[in-house]
Amino acid sequence: MRRYKPLLPVFAIYVILLIIGATTPGLWQPIMFIMFYIGIGVALNNFLGLTGYVDFGYVAFLAMGAYGMAVALNYFTELGFGAVALGFFLALLFSALLCIAVGGVALRLRGAYFAIATIGVNEGLRYLIEGARIWGGSEGIVLSGKLRKAFGPDFANYLSTFVADVCLIIVIFVASVITIYLINSRVGYALLALREDEDAAKVVGINVTKYKLIAFFTSAAIGSLIGASAWTLKLTYVFPEDVFFIHYTVEAIVIVMLGGAGTLLGPVISGLIYGALKYYLSVILPGFQLLAFAPLLIIIVVAFPDGIVGYVRKKLRGKSLFEYIR
Amino acid sequence: MAFFEQLASNLIYGMLLGGVYGLATMGLSLIFGVLRVVNVGHGAFIMLGAFTAFWMFTLYSIPPIASIVMALVIGLALGYLIFMSVMRRLLDAPELSTLLAMFGIGIFIEELAKFFWGPDYVGYSWNIGGISFPITEIPFTKICAFISSIIIAALLYIWFQRTKLGKAIRAVVEDREGAMVCGVDVNRIYALSFALGIGLTVLSGVLVTLFTPVGINVYMGGDYTLKAFVIAVLGGLGSPWGAFYAGFIFGLLENGSYTLLGLIPGVEPFGLTRFVSFAGLLVILLVKPTGLLGGE
Repeated sequence: MRRYKPLLPVFAIYVILLIIGATTPGLWQPIMFIMFYIGIGVALNNFLGLTGYVDFGYVAFLAMGAYGMAVALNYFTELGFGAVALGFFLALLFSALLCIAVGGVALRLRGAYFAIATIGVNEGLRYLIEGARIWGGSEGIVLSGKLRKAFGPDFANYLSTFVADVCLIIVIFVASVITIYLINSRVGYALLALREDEDAAKVVGINVTKYKLIAFFTSAAIGSLIGASAWTLKLTYVFPEDVFFIHYTVEAIVIVMLGGAGTLLGPVISGLIYGALKYYLSVILPGFQLLAFAPLLIIIVVAFPDGIVGYVRKKLRGKSLFEYIR
Repeated sequence: MAFFEQLASNLIYGMLLGGVYGLATMGLSLIFGVLRVVNVGHGAFIMLGAFTAFWMFTLYSIPPIASIVMALVIGLALGYLIFMSVMRRLLDAPELSTLLAMFGIGIFIEELAKFFWGPDYVGYSWNIGGISFPITEIPFTKICAFISSIIIAALLYIWFQRTKLGKAIRAVVEDREGAMVCGVDVNRIYALSFALGIGLTVLSGVLVTLFTPVGINVYMGGDYTLKAFVIAVLGGLGSPWGAFYAGFIFGLLENGSYTLLGLIPGVEPFGLTRFVSFAGLLVILLVKPTGLLGGE
């Protein structure tokens, strides 16, 4: 159990956030907004943080999740709760299919080539959906009317407010457990070697492709569940230009970097900071949040390449708190 | 017959646009070739060039073709500034850092532009007539853009081949340690190439507006970033000349396939054309990452 001690501060942050949200009137939505950013940070960290590969097309996995849920709710509405369960299944299935496609092509590439290839996958998929008019093409899928007709306004409302939030929270808790499991297991050690020097890792006899794929699949699966619950279930619509919007990928990358790539606590703290800042900046300076974030991103990259948690861990080395922070 | 006329006029248009695409991608390829940095903020610099043309025309009625000089100067200065303040510190950092820094810079420029110039579409109308063909009429502005991009590319070629600095840049692309041993000040070459790359990109932003004079907007660059990636990979990442030729291929293919895909019922040709180009990008990356034209 000692290895799982670092989960303690992470869960403490989640619980405190949720308690604040549930007890203070008007704070639940901001807290869920923050939880979404924590979620995409934790999800992407499982790949980018652990392998060091920059996936600029990560949002495509959230999009696949969003479409999986939308397809289930749109075409199998009569199943009720079953449609939601089917939606999560389809979300996982679609993202796994995309994983196989991307894994076959892009994961053979490294560095800048990998980054460009993933942009290609994201944009290509988006334009395939728009161009070939798959799942409604550029008009997307709008569910609210259909859900209200099938379930009645109360249950539809219950789905999009309560169920969606609960699903997102569960996914985030599970995602953090998966991260600590990966870090502590053989997979984590192999990925650490891979991140430092892929060729050397190969020479030592580590099956780098296998471990890269494990991290990739895990991260994609979590991402798709977040897309299914925080987007489709909560907002009840899916538009291709929204769900393939490359800025979400970038936000997730910023969160991973700010917190410290490959750490457990990092994306949680930075997701909290990022989400809260973004929410309040959009209130104070509507439309100009990015103007404040861009310099912040540049400063982090230049001055603090290890991120917040990486920096704190360096300071705490040898102290008793050290083993709680990962 | 109408179809063939349309195809022919679209292909002519594609070739003219392709020249500008090529020039617009040379900066990206130059920066990658010399510094191994992918300029993911590429589009923001194109947008700056477009606004340079717009403001010079609107405020001082300077024809856009003349503001390319101004745009080049702005781009060189900006590139030098960015290199000295940010990129210089990241030369030994992993690729992740430079990608993110360039992305941050791109967003920063776009948001700053939005802060000052607003989010609306603006445009200008510079009408200097055109040449009439039996099938279509081609405005002189587009021909001007095409010819300027060829002249600029030719001047660059001569500069790279003949001058000492040009040779030094090529030496660093070939082998940076080797160049260092031969007495090339690599850091100076980095700064120069980065500034030149950004300068070229801003300059080509001016030429882009000759094709879409009313499509000037602070977020117009995103599209060009993605196209530039496809073109750069097509020409072999890091080879400015490959990128220039690939621009023509891309312009022709884009406009040609748009016309052909329009024949398929029930699809949106605009979206499918994009899909085809990105699928092509993936295939090239997988099969021949050195590019269609290059081969090392």
